[in-house]
Parts: sequence; structure tokens; C-alpha cells
Amino acid sequence: MAIENVTIYDNTSALFDEIIAHRLGLIPLPTRLDLLNFRDECVCKGKGCPNCTVHYTLSKEGECIVYSGDLRPEDPMWAVVDKNIPIVKLLKNQRLILEAEAELGIGKEHAKWQVVCGIGYKYYPIIEIDEEKCNLCNECVRVCPKNVLEIKRKKLVVKNIEDCSLCRSCAEVCKRGAIKVRGDETRIIMQYETDGSLSAKEALKEALKILYKKYDELENVLGLK
Amino acid sequence: MIMPVRCFTCGKVLASLFEEYKKRVYINGEEPKKVLDDLGIKRYCCRRTIISHPVFIKGNEIKELIDEAAQYE
Ligand SMILES: [Zn+2]
Ligand SMILES: [Zn+2]
Repeated sequence: MAIENVTIYDNTSALFDEIIAHRLGLIPLPTRLDLLNFRDECVCKGKGCPNCTVHYTLSKEGECIVYSGDLRPEDPMWAVVDKNIPIVKLLKNQRLILEAEAELGIGKEHAKWQVVCGIGYKYYPIIEIDEEKCNLCNECVRVCPKNVLEIKRKKLVVKNIEDCSLCRSCAEVCKRGAIKVRGDETRIIMQYETDGSLSAKEALKEALKILYKKYDELENVLGLK
Repeated sequence: MIMPVRCFTCGKVLASLFEEYKKRVYINGEEPKKVLDDLGIKRYCCRRTIISHPVFIKGNEIKELIDEAAQYE
């Protein structure tokens, strides 16, 4: 959920109304998909009602910094997740009074609705060491940027396989060809974080639900069902 | 002007972390690398957004551009 409409009653701060509205829009808000409808799918037909819209008010006078925590929701359950995001600084006698409407949306429409950030994945690394060929020269241990390898009791071993980024530096530096690095094509390590509007687990579950729905639609269109 | 709410590239919320960064790096004089690591800012896009945010020194205070511009409505 994110703020979509802002009504500004008074703004005598240094920032334009548009910039303040934009900063408000980027604040992550708690998302409850079980309680809210998407506005265009709602019974109110997009007009905005308690089933699809959450209201916030903000009223502050300087001298102070206006934080995201100063946004007052109609119900405490909609309180902002991160209360320390500065929105604007006010000097003495400067005022900011506004009302905001938040609604559900998807990242395709605007990035403010995108729950996850910094997504990456890689094949599960497999490192094969040929002990016959290895002469414990330590070159591969030195060259590895992630410190995956180590020599323990006169044997080259893998310390933390999941840190390996499959760069193959160790295989390249080994003149005897004792190391082979490849990715396991049946397993993938995926990493992501969320902005706090949904927990990581919920975000994954929702994403899978959407994916299943899309596959069902595809099957229907192809006549496989 | 004022710290961007999110990283331009990946969308991580950074504005709430900047105050601590500002205090520790510009006032306490700590190493930026260490502070960024402590704050859990791992990706170079977010690190770029934070270290390139301009601040200036006026008297013995660390200020952002917003502090100067605030007097103009
Ligand atoms: Zn509605
Ligand atoms: Zn980033």
C-alpha cells in the first residue's frame, strides 16, 4: 500500500507541494491484502471507500522536522512502518497541513508499490576438487574474492559453499586443473529484501499466488484444461 | 536538498538511516565504509546514494541544503 492522493491545505515550507506529495508516496505502509480491495476492483467502482482506501492526516508547525511517524492514520493498525523518514524541515511559523489517501497498487504501475528490492539469484554452486592433482599451492585460496576455499589439515576444502559467486577465478588460477566450478541447474539461491510493507515470507507467498493464477490463465487460453 | 526517501536504483528506504550516518561520519569522524556496513547497506547503489548526498559545514554544524533553503517559502 502507498499514498496515492494528497490534499494540501497549507504548506509554507521550502519544498513544493509536489515534492512533498512525492516523498509521502515513497513511504512504505503496512499492507493487508486480506482487508483491502484494489480500488478498481472494489464495490465502490473506483470512487474510494473504507474497503479500498485508508486516510492519513498530518499537521505540524515549526520549528521541527516532519517525520513519516507524524502521519496520523484513521486506525492505529495502519500506522507507518518506518517512523523516522524525514519529509521536510520546518522553521518557526512554517506550517504543513495535509490529508492523504492510500490505496493498494502494483509495481508495474508505480515503483512505490513494489514490495521487494534488491532481488538476485544464482545457481547453487558446486565445487569439485581433484585431490590427486592439487599440490596445496594456496593460489586458489588467495584469489577467491569471497573466501570460499581454505586449506585444512593439508587438504583443500570448501568452507562456505553458498558464498561462491561462480566467478571461476580459482579454476582459472589453478595450473594443474584440480578445481572445477559449476552451477547446479536444479537448484537456485534467490535473495531479496522487502521495504517493510509486507514480510519477506508473505511477499513470496503472494508472488507465487499471482504466478499460479497466470499459469492457470495460460493453460485456459491454450485449451489444456 | 533533503535526503531522498529511497535509493534511486533499488528502492530501499534510506532517508531514515541518513541521520545516523551523518552523525557518525561527519561529526564523530568515523570511516564511511564501517558505518555503511553497520547500517546494513550492502548494495553499491544504496551506498552511492548515501555517500554522494551533499552536506556542508556552517559554523560547527553539519547542514543539508534544506537547512539553508528553509528560510525561503
Ligand atoms: Zn472502494
Ligand atoms: Zn540501492
